[in-house]
Amino acid sequence: MKRKILAALLASTMVLSLVGCGGGSAEAPAAPAADSGAAEEAPAADSGAAEEAPAADAAADAAGGDETLTVWCWDPAFNLNAMYEAEKVYQKDHPNFKLNVVETPWDDIQTKITTAATSGDLSTLPDIFLMQDNAFQKNVLAFPDLCMDLTNSGIDYSQFAAGKTAYSVIDGKNYGVPFDNGAVVACYRTDLLEQAGLTIDDFTDITFDQYMENGKKVLEATGKPLISMQAGECDLIMMMMQSAGASLFNEDGTANIVGNDTLKTVMETYKSLKDAGVLTEVNSWDEYVGDFVSGNVAGTINGCWIMASIQTAEDQKGNWAITNMPSLAGAANATNYSNNGGSSWAVTTKCANPDLACDFLASTFAGSNELYDNILPSGALATWAPAGDSSAYGEPNEFFGGDAVSAKIVDFATKVPTNITGAYYYEARNAVAAAITNYISGADLETELQNAEQQINFNMQ
Amino acid sequence: MSKSKKMTLSKKQNLTGWVFLAPGAVLIFIMSFVPMFRALMLSFKTGIGANMKWTGVTNYVRMFQDTVFVQSIKNTFFYLIIQVPVMLIFALILASILNNKDLRFKGLFRTMIFLPCATSLVAYAIIFRSLFANNGLINLLFVKLGILDQPYAFLTNTTSARIVIIIALLWRWTGYNMVFYLSGLQNIEYSVYEAAKIDGASAVQSFFKITIPLLKPTILLTAIMSTNGTLQLFDESVNLTSGGPANTSITMSHYIYDMSFKYVPNFGYAAAMSFLILVLVAVLAFLQMKVGDKRD
Repeated sequence: MKRKILAALLASTMVLSLVGCGGGSAEAPAAPAADSGAAEEAPAADSGAAEEAPAADAAADAAGGDETLTVWCWDPAFNLNAMYEAEKVYQKDHPNFKLNVVETPWDDIQTKITTAATSGDLSTLPDIFLMQDNAFQKNVLAFPDLCMDLTNSGIDYSQFAAGKTAYSVIDGKNYGVPFDNGAVVACYRTDLLEQAGLTIDDFTDITFDQYMENGKKVLEATGKPLISMQAGECDLIMMMMQSAGASLFNEDGTANIVGNDTLKTVMETYKSLKDAGVLTEVNSWDEYVGDFVSGNVAGTINGCWIMASIQTAEDQKGNWAITNMPSLAGAANATNYSNNGGSSWAVTTKCANPDLACDFLASTFAGSNELYDNILPSGALATWAPAGDSSAYGEPNEFFGGDAVSAKIVDFATKVPTNITGAYYYEARNAVAAAITNYISGADLETELQNAEQQINFNMQ
Repeated sequence: MSKSKKMTLSKKQNLTGWVFLAPGAVLIFIMSFVPMFRALMLSFKTGIGANMKWTGVTNYVRMFQDTVFVQSIKNTFFYLIIQVPVMLIFALILASILNNKDLRFKGLFRTMIFLPCATSLVAYAIIFRSLFANNGLINLLFVKLGILDQPYAFLTNTTSARIVIIIALLWRWTGYNMVFYLSGLQNIEYSVYEAAKIDGASAVQSFFKITIPLLKPTILLTAIMSTNGTLQLFDESVNLTSGGPANTSITMSHYIYDMSFKYVPNFGYAAAMSFLILVLVAVLAFLQMKVGDKRD
C-alpha cells in the first residue's frame, strides 16, 4: 500500500509537471512567432496549448494583466462543455479572460487534492475545481485551508435550490457554487406499463405502497421487475431518506441510525420490494445501465442525469416517461422529491486572483440565463432558479413522449427537502449498505442498525 | 612504489564500483526508504486530513477494534490459505507436464498459460466481473445446460464472491508461477529421470522423489512471492466485488485505500495498517524460510 500511495504520488507529480509544461510552452512559441510571422504554425504544433497561446495575449500576461484561470472537471460532454460555454459568456465583457480547462476524473481530483492539501503545498492545484456534492463536507472538514469561503463573494445563493446549496454549506459558510442538478426522477417504460394496464399517471404522486402494487402488476404481465439497483451501493436508500428529509446524521454531527424511524421504514420498504421481485439487484453499474437500456426492467429511479444514459437507447424513443418518485409511506414529512448526485464548483485558496474567480462564477453559473440555455442540450440542468423560466426549458423532448422534461425537473429540484450530508457521509453510506445487504439475506434489522451505528461511531473517533 | 600504485588501483576499482552503485542506491534510498520511514512516523500520528498530532501506538491498538479491518484480515487470510497452495500445486503440475520432452506444441501451451499474466489487473478483474454477472456468460451457460434453474448472483453471495476472486487469481497467476518452475526444471538433468525410469520409478514417484526436492528453492521463492502478493491484494477486491457483499470480500489494502481516499482521510491510521501488512509479510516469509529451507 505504501508503494501504491507512493506510486499515486509519483504519478500525480508527473501528470502535474506535464500540465506545468503545457502552461509554460504556451508562452514559449509566442516569442519566435512575433518576428518570424509564423504565428499560425507555432501554436498549432503545440496542440495542448493551442487555445491559450495567441502571441498578443501572452504579451499581455507578461505585462501583469493575467486573467487566466485553471479549472479541473471531468466530463467532456457535460461539465467541461459548460466551462467552455461559461468562458465564452464571460469573455464578452472581459476580452482578456481565458480558461485553462483540464479534464480530470473525480477520483483523480480527490487523490490530488488529498495529496496536495496533506503536504501543505497547494501550488499544484487549479484555481477552480468541480467537487462531488457528497464529498464537499468531508474535504472542507479535513482540509480547512483548501477551499475559499465564498459567502460574501457577491454570489446570490437565494436563487439556488436550497436542498442543493446545503451540500456546500459548512458552519453557515458557503464554500461552493452549485452546478448540476441531481433532482430525482422516476423513469418508466410506458409501453411495458401499458401491458399491465397502467399509465404514467398511476405512478405520479404515489407512495411506495402503491409502487409495490403497481410493480406486482407489471411483474405479472411482463415478467419484468420495475427497477434494478446496484447491490452494495445504497443509492435508492439515500434517495428515499432524503425524500422524507431524513439523514444518517444529527445536526451536531453524531450518527443517527439506531432509533431513526425513517431509516427503519426505508430498510423495510427496500427489503419488501426486493422480496416481492419488484426490485432486482445487480453487481455493477454497467449491469444497472444495461438493465433499463435493454428492457430487462420497466424503469428506474435516480438523479436526472441518468436520463442521458436512458436516451442512448434510440430504439425506445417515445416509450419513456418521467415523473416524480414514490413517497415513503408511513414516514413523517414524506415528499415525492429527492436528490442524488450532482456537483458544485469550489475555488481553492491557492487561486492568485480570487476576485476574478468569484466574479466569473457570479456572472456565469450564478447569473447567466444565456449560459444555462447554451448548456441545456448537453443535459446540464440548472439548479439556479431563474434559468427555469427560460423558454428553452419548456421545449418538448420527443424521447420522453413529447414532455417538457427540463421544466419538470427544475420544478422537482425546488421541492427537494434539505438534509444533512455529514462529513462522514461515505462511511455512513458503506455501513448502511452492509446493513441492508445483511438484512436482505435474513439478519435482524435492529442488530444490523446497531452494528452500522457502531461502525460509524468508530470511524468518527 | 609499485605497491602503493597497486593500492591505488584497487581503491580506484572500488571507487568505480561505488560510482556505478551510487545513482541506483541514492534513488532507492530517496524514493523508497525515506517514504517508508516517513510512513512509519506517520503511523504514530492521528488526525483528519492535514491536522495531524502525535498519538503513540493508538493507531496500532485501534485497528484491532475496527470490525471492518479485522474482517479484511480474515478475508485476506482466507484467500491466502486457499488460493496460494492450490495455485502452486497447479503451477507445479502444469510445469511438469510442459517439461515433457515428447510433448508437441510445448511453446504454444507455455505461452497460452503464461498469457493471462500480460493482462492488466483492472481489465481482467472487470472481465471476470462481467463473466459472473447475473446475465453474464457463466450464468447463461449454467442455465442453458440445465445446471441452474435461474441465474445465480455469484457476486452478491459471500462464499461465491470469494470463490470468484480465488478463481480469478488462479487464472491470473498460475502461469506466472509455472514459468519459475519451468526454469527450475531446466536445471534438473534429464538423465536423473531416465535413471529413475530404469530403476522402475513411476511418473508419480519421480515427481515426488525427484522434481519436488530439487525444485525446493524455487517453490520457496514462489511461496514467499505469492504470500506477499496475496497479502497486498487490491485490484481484485476493488474492481471485481467492490469488497462486497457487506465487506465480506474486502482486502486489507482495499480498506486502507478507502481510509485514505474515500473516507474522511486519516493517514496516520492508514499508515499503521500498512505496517501491519509489512509485519505479516515479514513473519510469514520468515516462517516459510524456516520450514522450507533445511540446509542449516
